[in-house]
Amino acid sequence: MTSAGNLPIMELLSKAELLKQGAEARIYKTLFLGRPTIVKERFQKRYRLPLLEEKLTHRRTVQEVRSILRCRRAGISAPVVYFVDYTSHCIFLEEIQDSSTVRDHIASTRWSASSVSDVSLECLAQMMGSTLAKMHDEDVIHGDLTTSNMLLRRPAGHGECELVLIDFGLSSISALPEDKGVDLYVLEKAFLSTHPNTEALFQKILKTYAASSKKSAAVLKKLDEVRLRGRKRSMVG
Amino acid sequence: MHLSHELELFPNLNVTQILFKDVKNAAELRQNAVEGTITGALINPTMLVSPFQVLVAANKAVHLNKTGKMKTRSLFSEIIFNLSPTNNISEAFKRFGISDGDDSVLVVLVHNKEESQLVTDITAKVDGQQVPLDDLSSLSDHAKIKKLYKITPQEEKCGTLLDAVVCRMATKDVM
Repeated sequence: MTSAGNLPIMELLSKAELLKQGAEARIYKTLFLGRPTIVKERFQKRYRLPLLEEKLTHRRTVQEVRSILRCRRAGISAPVVYFVDYTSHCIFLEEIQDSSTVRDHIASTRWSASSVSDVSLECLAQMMGSTLAKMHDEDVIHGDLTTSNMLLRRPAGHGECELVLIDFGLSSISALPEDKGVDLYVLEKAFLSTHPNTEALFQKILKTYAASSKKSAAVLKKLDEVRLRGRKRSMVG
Repeated sequence: MHLSHELELFPNLNVTQILFKDVKNAAELRQNAVEGTITGALINPTMLVSPFQVLVAANKAVHLNKTGKMKTRSLFSEIIFNLSPTNNISEAFKRFGISDGDDSVLVVLVHNKEESQLVTDITAKVDGQQVPLDDLSSLSDHAKIKKLYKITPQEEKCGTLLDAVVCRMATKDVM
């Protein structure tokens, strides 16, 4: 699927720094219009039928971009979109500087095991709960909630930390408590498997979620139901 | 004074922005733009938050031009169209293009060489005072911009006005 339009991007990416390669996309770091930028390139899956491949990749790109704007309009931090190239499925996003993933933050905080760090985790749990509540109240389903998809931005000097959500590739719009419950379930599984012995912390997230969202009761009820499904769960009712 | 930026995606192309105040011949300039005798985009600077906003619009215009997917008829009208948060072309020209009574103009040139001659040529056509690009912030009408781009109050807490504007410009095709 190469056309004349793709060459400039390929040129730029060949000189850019590759940060990560996931199952779906490569993440590059570069300068764009003078600003530090992340380029997310959804590459081709050649094992897929070309027509399906194009439709799917395009749809993922579009959903990602739509959800980011929707979140930002509601006051949820997500990277600013600078440019989207629909021919090569590349999204040019603001590079969130002075930040670390929530995953790294929790891991490093728990290593130091001092009382100060525990307070910080409390705060983090509250931020996560309230941000997710706001997101679900906007009917945005993230689709891939993990602590690696949340960044903690701490501008140098101030105490004010900010939670930034990233990677909206699997996101969708839905008002259904079921979908929101599943979204939280995905986070719970990812959270507890990545960070052992954090059940209390996750409960704190849910508690803040419940307090912050107007529609939380139905969602949390669904979460309980969803937990009873899944692998190695008895569906005997 | 003027600002020139080489597009990272199109390294042989530069975008040059020149700002003018106390412009007396806006009507004539607008006519020239329509006729095509000015090879640049003439933009109403009160709708601009920052030169970065123009770069985003210009980059997208060049990209769409190269891939044959422009929505308007020329590169310069495409730059103006890309500034708009909506997909209505005539509304974009009305809001972001210059009007006959305007007293300030931002000229945007896209070129592949050293710009000093081009700047001189344009400056000769504008009956006004060239001022540094930094003056743009004093011309921005933030209230008008917020209203046109429909910026929510919550959004202003998670980013700057420029962030909100650029994000809408970049995503409007799929919203």
